[in-house]
Amino acid sequence: MIRMKDVSFRYLNSTEGVSGIDLMVNEGECVVFTGPSGGGKTTLTRLLNALAPSYYTGTLTGTISINGKSLTQMPQYTVARQIGSVFQDPKSQFFSSELAGEAAFACENYGFSAEEIRDRTDDAIVSFGLNGFRSRNLDVLSSGEKQKVAIASVYALRPDIYVCDEPTSNLDKTGAEQLAAVFKQLKAEGHTIIIAEHRLSWLHGIADRFIYVRDGRVLWERNTAEMEQLSPEERERYGLREITEKGDRTIQTPTRNTDQFPALCVKSLSCRRKKTKIFRDINFSAPAGQITAITGHNGIGKTSLALVLSGLWKEESGQVVVDGRELSARERRKQTWFSSNDTGTQFFTNSVSEEVLLNMKHSEEHLEKARSLLKRLGLYRYKDVHPASLSGGQKQRLAIACGVLSDRTILIFDEPTSGLDGGNMKIVADVLREAADQKKVILVITHDDELICRCDSEISIDDCANERKMFNVML
Amino acid sequence: MQRKNFAVPVKLWASGCAIVGISMTSNTVLTCILALTGFLYLSVQHNWRALKSFGVFYIAMAVLLYLIRYQGLHMVVFSEFYVLMFWNLFAVFIVGWDLITTPPGELSAFMSRIHMPTAGILGLLVMFRFFPTMKAELKSVWLSMRNRGLAAPCQLLLHPVVSCEYVLVPLLLRCLQIADQLSVSAVARGAEASGKRGSYYEKDMTIKDWSCLILWSVVTFLFLWIGGVRA
Repeated sequence: MIRMKDVSFRYLNSTEGVSGIDLMVNEGECVVFTGPSGGGKTTLTRLLNALAPSYYTGTLTGTISINGKSLTQMPQYTVARQIGSVFQDPKSQFFSSELAGEAAFACENYGFSAEEIRDRTDDAIVSFGLNGFRSRNLDVLSSGEKQKVAIASVYALRPDIYVCDEPTSNLDKTGAEQLAAVFKQLKAEGHTIIIAEHRLSWLHGIADRFIYVRDGRVLWERNTAEMEQLSPEERERYGLREITEKGDRTIQTPTRNTDQFPALCVKSLSCRRKKTKIFRDINFSAPAGQITAITGHNGIGKTSLALVLSGLWKEESGQVVVDGRELSARERRKQTWFSSNDTGTQFFTNSVSEEVLLNMKHSEEHLEKARSLLKRLGLYRYKDVHPASLSGGQKQRLAIACGVLSDRTILIFDEPTSGLDGGNMKIVADVLREAADQKKVILVITHDDELICRCDSEISIDDCANERKMFNVML
Repeated sequence: MQRKNFAVPVKLWASGCAIVGISMTSNTVLTCILALTGFLYLSVQHNWRALKSFGVFYIAMAVLLYLIRYQGLHMVVFSEFYVLMFWNLFAVFIVGWDLITTPPGELSAFMSRIHMPTAGILGLLVMFRFFPTMKAELKSVWLSMRNRGLAAPCQLLLHPVVSCEYVLVPLLLRCLQIADQLSVSAVARGAEASGKRGSYYEKDMTIKDWSCLILWSVVTFLFLWIGGVRA
C-alpha cells in the first residue's frame, strides 16, 4: 500500500511542483493521474518512484510511505527493487543494443547469480512475447516494441509496483494496444500500477480510479463508471480525451466548398531505400482548403510517404503534381513543409520567437500573425525561452506554429497531437483549420481518432494482398 | 544456447598476439600469415559479413602490392606507403574489429568478472550506446535543416558559421537530454546498487576458446621465429 500524506514538493530554482497531496493506493489497484499538460502528473510519478527529490532535487514536505516504511529514507536502489519505473521515450533508455542484455540490465545491477539473471530475463522475454527479437538490433524496433522491451527490463526485477509516466506518448495506436495488453497482464498478476496519462481510451478495462491533477493539486477523483458518465461538455471543460474507444470514427466536419480541382495530385508514386521497397504505386489527390488525414497500419510507410511528398527523399518512380505542374524533389522542398513527430531535433535558434521567424520575412503583418498564433497555442509567455527547455507537448505545438507560419502551400504534419491533452488537441485542430482556410493543402498523418473526426477526409494506406511493403491507396 | 563467437579473454589475447607480432616483426610481407589466421578466426565465429568485406579489401591490397613491386605501378593519391601499411596492419584490423563489435553485454560481463568498478562499466555501456544514437540524431537534424531551407548550398556557403551552429546547437542539446534520460533510466533500475554486478553472459571458456588461444600463441611465435625479430 502506498500512502502520500499532505505532500508538497517544489523543484529547486523553480515555481513548479505539487502541493497538499493526500493519496492512498491499495495493493493490486490501477490508478491513473490525468489532467492538462504541466499540471503536475509527472511530478507525482517522480515522487512515487523517489526520483524526486533524490535525482530531481527540490524541497519535499509531508510523508510518502510504502507498506508503512518512509520512501525518502530508503536509498534509491532499494526503492527501485519494489517500484519499477517506465518513462515516456523508450529509445533513450536503453543501455544495450540487443534484447537479452537490455532486459537483464536491472538484474545485473543487483548482482544476482548468473543463473537467476538468465531465468528472470528469459521469463520476462517470453512473458512479453519478445522471443523473436533476440537477434535483432533494438534500434530497428518500432516504438511500441521498444516500450515493451523497456517494461520487460523492469519486469525481470519483479517489482510489486509499476509507476509509468505517459508511457504511450511516443506510441501510435497499435503500440498503445500492445501496451494495454501488457498492463492487463501485469494487473492480472496482482501488481499495483500507477500511470500518468492523458490518452485515456487505451486504459479501458485496466484503470480502477482516475485522479485529476491540475496546477499541482488533486481536484477530484472518479472511478471508471463515473468517468464513463462524464458528458462531452464536462470532458471539454476539464480538457480530457475520450474515455472509451469509439466504435465508429466518422468525420463530423460538414463538407466545405472547396475547389473541385485537386491542388496536390500523387500518381503511382513509389519509394525505395537501399534495396528495400518502402511503398509502391500510391495514387491520391488532396484539394486545397481541406485537412486530409492519412491513416494506416504501423510501419506501412506513412512517414516515408510524407518525406517523399516534401522532397526530403527522392521518389523511385511516379509523379507529384501540384497545381497542375509536376514538381521535382527540389521544387517540392520549397513548397512543402514537413513537421516530424520527433520534435527533439527540429529547433535551431535560441528562443521560441526567433524559431517561428527563422528564414522568414520580418514584416509587421507577419510578426502580428506570429504573436497571435503563439498566444492561441499557449506559447506566448514562453516566447523568450529556449525551445529545448519546453515540455514535449509545448514543442509539438511550436513545431505546428512554425509550419503554419511558413509561407509554403502544402503542410504535412506527422502525428501532431500524440503528446497533447484534450484541450490542446482541440486548439491544434482549430489552428490547422484556419491554415486550411487560407487555401493551403493540409495533410495530417495520425492515429488520433479525435483529430481524424475533425478532418475533412481520410486517406487510408492499407496492405494489399497481405504483402508487406506492397499496398495501394484508396481514396 | 551455443555461443558462436569466442569469449572476451580470447578476443583480447588474439588482439594482443596480433599487435605484438606486427610490432616486433622485421618481415613486412610475411604478415599475411597473421592476416590469414585472422580470416580463419572470423570464419570459425561464423562472422561471414566481416569475412567478406575484409577479404575483398585484402585481395585488393595484394593485387596493388604485386603491381607496385613487379609492374612498377605508381599511384598519386593512395601511395605505396599506405598500401604497405594497410597490408602490414591488416591482422590488427581484423581482430580489433572483432573485439569492438562484441555485444556490449558480454564485454561488461567480462569486466565485472575482473572486478572493474561499476562506474567504469556503466561508462563503457553508455559509450557504446552513444555513437548509434548520435548517428540517428544527426540524420534527423539534417532532415529538418533541409525542410526549413537551412541546408541549401547558398545558405551553407554564405553563412558557414551560422550553419554550423544550426547543426551543433540541437545536437548538443539532444546529447544533454539523452544523457539525462539514460541516467534516470539507470538510476531507476538500481545502477547505484553497491556490490558486484551480475551478468547474463557469464560463461566458461570452452575447448574451442582454449584451442583458439593456443593457436594464436603458436602462430605468433612461429611467425616471429621465421620472419625474424626487428633488431
